[in-house]
Amino acid sequence: MNRRGFLKAGGVGLVALIGGGAAVFSQVPVIPSRPEPDFEAAAGWIAYRDGRYTLTLPRAEMGQNIATAMKQIACTELDVDWDAVDVELHDTARAGVKPTVGSESVMLFTEPLAQACAALRDAVAAGRATGEVEVVARPRSALKVFQRGGAIGQSPVIAQGLEIVTGQPIYAADIDRPGMLFGRVLRAPASTEVRSRPVAWNADAAQAVAGFVAVVEDAGPPIGQAQGLGIVASRPGALDAIAEALAVEWDVGSDHPRADVGAAIDVDTALAAGPLPHVSLDGAPEDGAWDVDLRVDVPLAAHGPIEPRAAVAEWADERLTIWAGSQDVFYIRDVVADAFSLGADQVLVQSCRVGGGFGGKTICTVEAEAAALSLALSAPVKVQWTRPQEFALAFHRPPSSHRIKARLQDGRVTDWDHAQVSSHVMFTSAVLPSWMQRGTDLFAGDGGVERGMAVPYRLGRARAAYDALRLPVHTGPWRGLGAGPNALATESALDEAARVAGLDPLAFRLAHIDDPRLAAVLEEVGRIADWSGTAQSAQRGETRIGRGIACGIYKEVSYAATVAEVAVSPDGRVRVTHLWCTHECGLVVNPDQVKAQCEGNLLWSLGMVLTDDLPLDRGRVAAEYFSDAPIPTLTETPEITIALLDTDNPPVGAGETAMVSGPGAIANAIRAATGHRLSRFPVDVTELAA
Amino acid sequence: MFRLNGQSEDVPGDWSDEPLLHLLREHFGLKGAKFGCGVGLCGACKVIVDGEAVRSCTFPASALEGTEVRTIEGLARGENLHPVQAAWLAEAVPQCGYCQSGQIMSAVALLEQNPAPSDTDVDAAMDGNLCRCGTYTRIRKAIARATEAV
Ligand code: FES
Ligand code: FES
Repeated sequence: MNRRGFLKAGGVGLVALIGGGAAVFSQVPVIPSRPEPDFEAAAGWIAYRDGRYTLTLPRAEMGQNIATAMKQIACTELDVDWDAVDVELHDTARAGVKPTVGSESVMLFTEPLAQACAALRDAVAAGRATGEVEVVARPRSALKVFQRGGAIGQSPVIAQGLEIVTGQPIYAADIDRPGMLFGRVLRAPASTEVRSRPVAWNADAAQAVAGFVAVVEDAGPPIGQAQGLGIVASRPGALDAIAEALAVEWDVGSDHPRADVGAAIDVDTALAAGPLPHVSLDGAPEDGAWDVDLRVDVPLAAHGPIEPRAAVAEWADERLTIWAGSQDVFYIRDVVADAFSLGADQVLVQSCRVGGGFGGKTICTVEAEAAALSLALSAPVKVQWTRPQEFALAFHRPPSSHRIKARLQDGRVTDWDHAQVSSHVMFTSAVLPSWMQRGTDLFAGDGGVERGMAVPYRLGRARAAYDALRLPVHTGPWRGLGAGPNALATESALDEAARVAGLDPLAFRLAHIDDPRLAAVLEEVGRIADWSGTAQSAQRGETRIGRGIACGIYKEVSYAATVAEVAVSPDGRVRVTHLWCTHECGLVVNPDQVKAQCEGNLLWSLGMVLTDDLPLDRGRVAAEYFSDAPIPTLTETPEITIALLDTDNPPVGAGETAMVSGPGAIANAIRAATGHRLSRFPVDVTELAA
Repeated sequence: MFRLNGQSEDVPGDWSDEPLLHLLREHFGLKGAKFGCGVGLCGACKVIVDGEAVRSCTFPASALEGTEVRTIEGLARGENLHPVQAAWLAEAVPQCGYCQSGQIMSAVALLEQNPAPSDTDVDAAMDGNLCRCGTYTRIRKAIARATEAV
């Protein structure tokens, strides 16, 4: 390439770049609204300069290793070596992209990126070295990616893998700035949906703590209704001592009316008052006795990322720069600009690798705290939530209470009725102010709560309806949204239906499935687990062994089936000994990383059945550490066998799919081992004692 | 005075109240060890002190005198990764990666003390290291791979 030409262009090489996007300002509250990715936007993600390519990742990297998959797509379509492409995480100076949620990255971004790379490849081949490249879409059949060319289907060393294993700074909390201070925003030990604010504190005592820098009264927007008080120190360890010395007195409103969350969402209480308002399946089951009548309760659960969320904010020269580990930096920019009356062009948010997102790092919290403290002190400030803050102030998987009934005739389900009461996922109170909640609650259901209620089976006259109630704890998206809890409930009920019919649960499911892709994953998991050749219940000494099966479709596009094997000891302790999982998500860009997502989903499935819970006290999160809200450990990890079905269907997501089959398979295995149908999660071992 | 990845270092007076984790991250600029809970319950902050994997979030800087501290930044020899690091890459262990520095340091300490650990030894050494992404299966595989390499 012509280096002089590149220099003349003022330091900018050949950049397939469309100018920075206009700021998205919306009415209070700021609602994420950004377009589906298209070819034009994709041009801004890939640039060529001086013989090398830079891929600016249009997604958040949070462990789905999407940087690796996108780099595979880019290398393939550019037709260049792995080392010719550098990957950078995006900032908000770029055109806005959709938040990284819902397992959409491969599904929505593969083709736009491939189209942009193909156009850039042709431009470079034609000798162009500067300027912008126009992306003219070509048919999919002309894209190497869809022909499984180059790096597609391979599993190269993961992007940022070397940085991770050598401890390089790639997370938000790893950022260092000259003169950086350390901050925290204290909030009342109360429900975030009860009004609270600091009223008195001992500033003198705090000042006496070595490392004290400031108390900041204007600590940014409230979280829910909890107004905070900021503290800043020159060393991070001083923050605990300052907080203690301050001994803040809080003004806290009276308990939330639904402080007893379990009673508030009790599905039977709700049904006694009348039909549930939001309908997912509109069949009309006939009156009469039911063959299956199952109650399933799934509690609140935290995301439990090992990285408590963190941000560094730096206010300098009338501009605010924020380093964030977020699934949506554009939303953070818009919220921060709005909260502090800044222009969107005064706020730059840089993505860092996210230390575990799972749907939980999608809103703006710690970033606004860091911004408030930095603005107050005109210095860079780092804020990382403590573990108790992570439990108390984040939003969580809503609890849900299900009643499922089924009636059978001749081995087939003829009537089905699923009722669910939960709390909000999409229209979370963590974002919507209460005046707006009243509006949305009247007219809208919540697609996140509903996800998965439309079961992928032919069940005759099938009805599914739900309600979502505002609770004292913030709830929101959690890996798979409603799909995990709904599938746990429906796959449990379906298993009971198979027992009533006296049919094998695999054959029973197949008999109710129309979709050949679902049938394929189900049959394949039966094959790899030798389902038909193995007893579903057995006894080994005092240990009761059981096998269970489940399957499902995630977001109508991605397929999974699971067989679980469990061993239950006489005292009721459950050990999951083996999980087999099949998964079909269309064309697979990176099989090893799709398997990694299955492994993650299966561990989350195990957690859903055995451990996930978030204890409350009068409507306030009482959990402070992992000891109060445990997550699965290495010793609890079973042997895992995964088979991907290789098809030419369009590529779709994998990050949440196996959440539809894993939990049900484990619960059904426990049923097979013990004869006990779990109705409350996580398991209470005393229920399972021999 | 103590040794940090082979270099002699001092704990500055005003940092002596801090846990080792903050000292490493915010004074020495070594960001590999991570803050996950601050109370010894997750293992994200593990480093090796005098040959033992310890949780640096609960190890006081004031207790460092005379110790030998190794962090993940000190494992590789130039471009040559430590066998445990290489195994971690070969098995593509990391998802989000946040817990992995602690996992790797636990595994390094384990293999130094016990070059041929049984499954039970691995479970005992690694169980205090939580991973929410669910990379445990690969952690086991990577330890097995590193065991062969060592
Ligand atoms: S941060 Fe040290 S054990 Fe969790
Ligand atoms: S890789 Fe994410 S917590 Fe372990």
